[in-house]
Amino acid sequence: MTLHHYLILAALLFCVGLMGAFTRRNAIVVLFSVEIMLNAANLNFIAFWRYSENPALLHGPLFTLFAIAVAAAEVAVGLALVIAVYRHFKTVDLESMDTLREE
Amino acid sequence: MNEVVAFWILSIIAIFGALVAVRKRNLIHGVFALLVFFAGLSGLFLLLLAEFIAAVQVLVYIGAVGILLLFAIMLTERVTGDDDRRVTSRGWFWGLVVTAAVFVVLLLPAIQQLPPPKAAQTIDPSVKELGHKLMNPYVVTLEVLALLLTAALIGAVTAAQGVRMPKEEDSPE
Repeated sequence: MTLHHYLILAALLFCVGLMGAFTRRNAIVVLFSVEIMLNAANLNFIAFWRYSENPALLHGPLFTLFAIAVAAAEVAVGLALVIAVYRHFKTVDLESMDTLREE
Repeated sequence: MNEVVAFWILSIIAIFGALVAVRKRNLIHGVFALLVFFAGLSGLFLLLLAEFIAAVQVLVYIGAVGILLLFAIMLTERVTGDDDRRVTSRGWFWGLVVTAAVFVVLLLPAIQQLPPPKAAQTIDPSVKELGHKLMNPYVVTLEVLALLLTAALIGAVTAAQGVRMPKEEDSPE
C-alpha cells in the first residue's frame, strides 16, 4: 500500500460526500454528507502521518483528534438547527425553505 | 499481502457505505449505511497504525453521532422519507458536474508521478505519548476545545428548545 492509494480513496469518499451535499434535498442527509467529507479529510491526515518522515511527533493523530471533537460539536449544533428549522417550517426539505429568496 | 487485501475490503466497505448513505431514500437505512462507513474508516485507521484514533472513531461516530442522527430523524416528520416527492435537489445536474470537477482536481497531483514516500516500518503510537503531547504543547488547544464543546452543548440545547414566549399565566416563583 502506498500513500497514493489512501489519498485516492479519501478523494473518492470526499466526492461522495460532496455529491450528497449537492444533490439531496433533505437537511439531515446533507449533514450526513458533511460528516463523510470530514471523515475523508481525517483519513488524509492519518495517511500523511503514517507516511511522514517523523511519525513519532504524532501530528496526524492529534489533529485528527481535534477534528473529531469539532465535528462532534458541529453535528450536535447542526441537528439542533435542523430540529429548530423543522419546528418553524414543518419540513426538513431544503428547497422549501426559501423565505429569503426574492421572487 | 494481508495488508493489501484488508485495504481493498475496507475501502470497498467505506465507499459502499458512503454511497448508500447519500443515495438511500429511507433515512433510517441511510444512517445505518453511514455507520457501516464509519466502521470501515475505523478499520482503515487501524491499518494505518492509528489505534487510538480508530477507537475514538468507533466511540464518537458510531456511538454518539449515529445515535444522535437517529434521534434527529425520529424527532422530525416523515421518518422513512419514502413518499412520492423528489429526493434530489433542483440543481442536481450541476452538483454532479461540480463533484466530478472537484474529483479531477483532487486527483491531479496523483497523476503526476511523484515518488511515493516510504512508510515507517515501526511506529510506536502509544496512547501515553499522545496524552503527554496533549498536556505539554497542546494544552491550550485542548482547553479551547473543551470550551467549544461546552458552548456547542449549550447552543444545541438552546437552538433545539426554540424561543419560548413568556406567558402571563405562568405562576410566579
